[in-house]
This record gives sequence, C-alpha cells and structure tokens, in this order.
Amino acid sequence: MNAFLSQIIIQLRMDIRDKGTLLVFYIVPLGFYAVMGAVFSSVNPEIKPILSATMAIFSVTMGAVIGIPPSLVKLREAGTLRAYQVLGIPNASVLLSIGISTLIHLSVVCFIISISAPLLFDAELPQSTGGFIAVLAALLFCSTAIGLFIGSTAKTQSSAMLLSQAVFMPSLMLSGIMFPAHLLPQPLEYAGNVFPATHVMRAFYGLAYRLPTEYNSSLALLIVFAIGIVASAAAAWRLGKITRVA
Amino acid sequence: MNNYILTLHNLVKQYQSITAVDGVSFNICAGEIFGLLGPNGAGKTTTLECIEGLRVPTSGDISVDGLHPLHNRRELRKTLGIQLQSSSLPEAILAGEAMTLVCAYHGVKPREDLMQRFGLDTLKHKQYGKMSTGQKRRLQLALALAGNPKIVVLDEPTAGVDVQGRAELHAAIYELKAEGVTVILATHDMAEAEALCDRIAILIKGRLAALGTPEQVTAAGSSQTRITLRTRHGSLLKQGSIQKASYLGQSEGFAQWLCNDAAPAVMELLNAAMSQEDPVDDLRVERPSLEERFLEIVEGGKTL
Repeated sequence: MNAFLSQIIIQLRMDIRDKGTLLVFYIVPLGFYAVMGAVFSSVNPEIKPILSATMAIFSVTMGAVIGIPPSLVKLREAGTLRAYQVLGIPNASVLLSIGISTLIHLSVVCFIISISAPLLFDAELPQSTGGFIAVLAALLFCSTAIGLFIGSTAKTQSSAMLLSQAVFMPSLMLSGIMFPAHLLPQPLEYAGNVFPATHVMRAFYGLAYRLPTEYNSSLALLIVFAIGIVASAAAAWRLGKITRVA
Repeated sequence: MNNYILTLHNLVKQYQSITAVDGVSFNICAGEIFGLLGPNGAGKTTTLECIEGLRVPTSGDISVDGLHPLHNRRELRKTLGIQLQSSSLPEAILAGEAMTLVCAYHGVKPREDLMQRFGLDTLKHKQYGKMSTGQKRRLQLALALAGNPKIVVLDEPTAGVDVQGRAELHAAIYELKAEGVTVILATHDMAEAEALCDRIAILIKGRLAALGTPEQVTAAGSSQTRITLRTRHGSLLKQGSIQKASYLGQSEGFAQWLCNDAAPAVMELLNAAMSQEDPVDDLRVERPSLEERFLEIVEGGKTL
C-alpha cells in the first residue's frame, strides 16, 4: 500500500512537470472556461446558470479523454511498462496510479471552476451540493475509465489521438454543453445519447440544479456509472491482454 | 560443478513458423560473469526474456535459483535484477523518485548507497528525459540492484555509452562479481566480453555455437598466429610467403603473415629485413582475438 501511495504521489508530480499533461489538464480547460464565462455565456445566456456544470464536463472530458490515452500509449511504445514490470512494479498499479492521479488533477480544476464561476460570471450555485458532487464523481470516474480504455486499446499515439477526438468532439457538440441539445436535428440528438457527457448534463440538470429533464436524472447518473464500470473493466482486460506474457 | 544458480535445458521458443531459440542448454555458476553473444537475431534477447519470465518458452526447462520464471514471478523479481536493452522510464520522473518507487515495491528504504556508488547522488533531481545515455544506463543498473538481487541480467549495458561511461559500468560489473552477484551479460562487444566474462556462450540462428571461457572459445578456432611487421623502407612488402609463414598481404605499410610457430617465423622475417639493411619500426605477434573467432563462427554457421 505504501508503495502504491508513493507511486500516486510520484505520478501527480510527473503530471505537473510534463508540459503536455499540464496543458491538457489545467491550462486549456481553465482558459476555455475563462473565455466561455466571459464571452460565450453572453451569447448563449441559457448556459450561464449552469456554467460550473458545463465547464466541469468540458474540463473532465478533455483532461481524461484527450490527456490519458497518448501518455498511456507512450508508456507502452517506449517500453516503460516492461521496465516497470521487471523492476517489480505491476502493470495494474501503473494503470491505477495514472487513473487516480488524473482524478485528483481534474477534481482540482472542477473545484476551481465551481468556486470561481458564481463569483466571476454570476453562475448559479447548485440547488443540491450533494447532487452536484455525486454527478461530478460519476463524470470523473466515467471519463477517466474511457481515457484508460482508449489508451490501452490504441496501438499508436496518433490512433489514440484519433479515437480520443472521436469521443471528445461529439461529446462537446451533442451533449448540450455548447448549445441546448434540443436545438439539434433529431438524429443527432439521439446520437448524443451514446456519449456519457449527454447523460452527465441531464444528471446535473436534475440532481444538482433541480431543473426539469427529459427522463429521470437518477437513471442518467446510473447510465454514467454503468459506462464507467464497463470502460474500466474493458481497460483492465485490454491492458492484461497487451502485457500478457506470450 | 554443482553450484549452478541458473540452468537452461533444451530451451525452444517458436514464433509461429520461426524458431527464435532452438534447443539451447547451458548452466551458470553462482558468482560468475556469463556472456551471451551472437549477431542480431541470434536469439539472445529471446533467451534472456524466457529467463526473465517475459516470454513463455515453447519447450524446455529453466531454473533461476530454484525458481520457475513463469510460476514464481513474484519471487523471481527479487532474485533477478534486470536491465533491459530497449526500455525507458517516464521522461518526467526524477532519478531520486525512480529509486524511491522501485525500492518501495521491493519493501526497502531508498538505496542512497546505490545512488552514490553510480554517481547519481548529484542527479537525484534530474528528470530522466534530460539525462545522458550513460547516466540513464547507470540509473537503470542502480534500479536493477535496488532489491539486492542474486543475479543481474544486463542486456547491452554499454550500448551508446561513451568511453568513460563504459569504464565506469565495467568497474561496477567487477564490483558486483566481487560481491558474489552473478551477472549475465548480453553484448555485441567482443572486447567487453573478453575483458569481463568468466564464460561465454555464442548463439547463432537460435542455436548454441560455442560455450566456454573466452580463451577456450578463442582457442577452438584457428590455431595460427599473426605477425604484423613494418620496416622503414618497406623492403618486406614484396617478400611474399616465407618458409615458416604464409603471406596475408599488406595495408598502409604493414605486411602480415600467418604462422603455426611464431619464433622461427619472426627470426626469418627479421633476418630478411636486416639483410636488406631496412630497420624494423613495428613488430606485432598476435593470437586470434575473440572477435575473429566470433566472426569465424558466424561465417561458418556451425553450431554445437
């Protein structure tokens, strides 16, 4: 346990030292949040009250889905996983430490957004703090699991980037973060249901802000958790497969 | 000898239709430096990976200090310290953090002694990605030793390392031997193998081609001695074969002969130079090196 704790602390420090990771985890999400808060919420006032939620979804999806996969593929390509393995560090603990470290970084970003949005951009505070935290936890878990799954599935860093974008861009466009989902053509609105961000958005609406939703927001939360569990299991299975001794 | 710490019996590893290792057997004694040599694709790394538990052999038996590489993986990681040929740590990890992490998984305190011994104490706060090749190799070796292993496997430890770095790594390997650690060294560098190894095995196309001390392996090849001679006026360059030695040719003023008995051949050549009043600037009498024997084996393609 001490060894695993050391690994998480070292992983956290490495993430901060790595400019690419720092950019994806902190700089771009917070920069985008500043622009959205200052400019875009004036253009689309519907976003303003729930700015904390939409920007949390953006930051977490970006950090986890864009940030994790290339670094995980790089660990494989550079032989780092093998090096760790022969030095007595299990692959599962590498995967877990990356996941936990990502969760911590993205939680910090979400905390900054949640605290500053009402002060800087007149965003509304959630009606239920517990509901907000529960949905945020589901979002963090699910996005990190998807990031780990893409990272353990993609063969190269470029294919990892493609897969990440294939999840990230539709999540951004179809979930209602950028503009209300009901304005989308119906096929795209249906397609949006494939992505967890859409369900997270509904869960935030219903559970955190007590706003009306198209279906039960608790069911939306369950769907997010379920996707996270499936993605975690798939990531563990993929990593086991690619690092299996043959 | 019965103090074998590692035994390999009839190891076979096939990748679909390709046989990478084909019936290799050898034993390694505790405390010796054992060299594994061979050209690219000879099966060295596959053999080492089977020993390290990173590959499943198609058939054959391996015992590492009484452990089975696949069935006793956890214990094996404590017995075996491994420096892989092509592996890397994360670029952003600090040397000190890497040592802390590996020691934590071995259940020991961070090995400051190893950091000092390999000149890494001043590099503790340096990121792995910013270290030179020599510094990286030294760190990898220090990490491989973190758990006090009985056996250390070094795969091309001096590849890409400068002369000073090489000398430092060689000194470290000698120190390990002095401490009773068994070292398995895979290398392309014949001079390194000749200087460091107690015994060597040469693999060709997955099969064992030679096994023994460097002297035994070298002696098993050509028994002829080479004489290289340079005179001030080059009078012997056109001498050709003499009674006691056959002429090989000349290069940049150095003429070369091969002989079975060096003394009479050298006398005959010196007499020839003196008779033509041509002073001798350089004279070398050399037995075939391990490298020449290695090339002879590789070109011959014969296996045991």
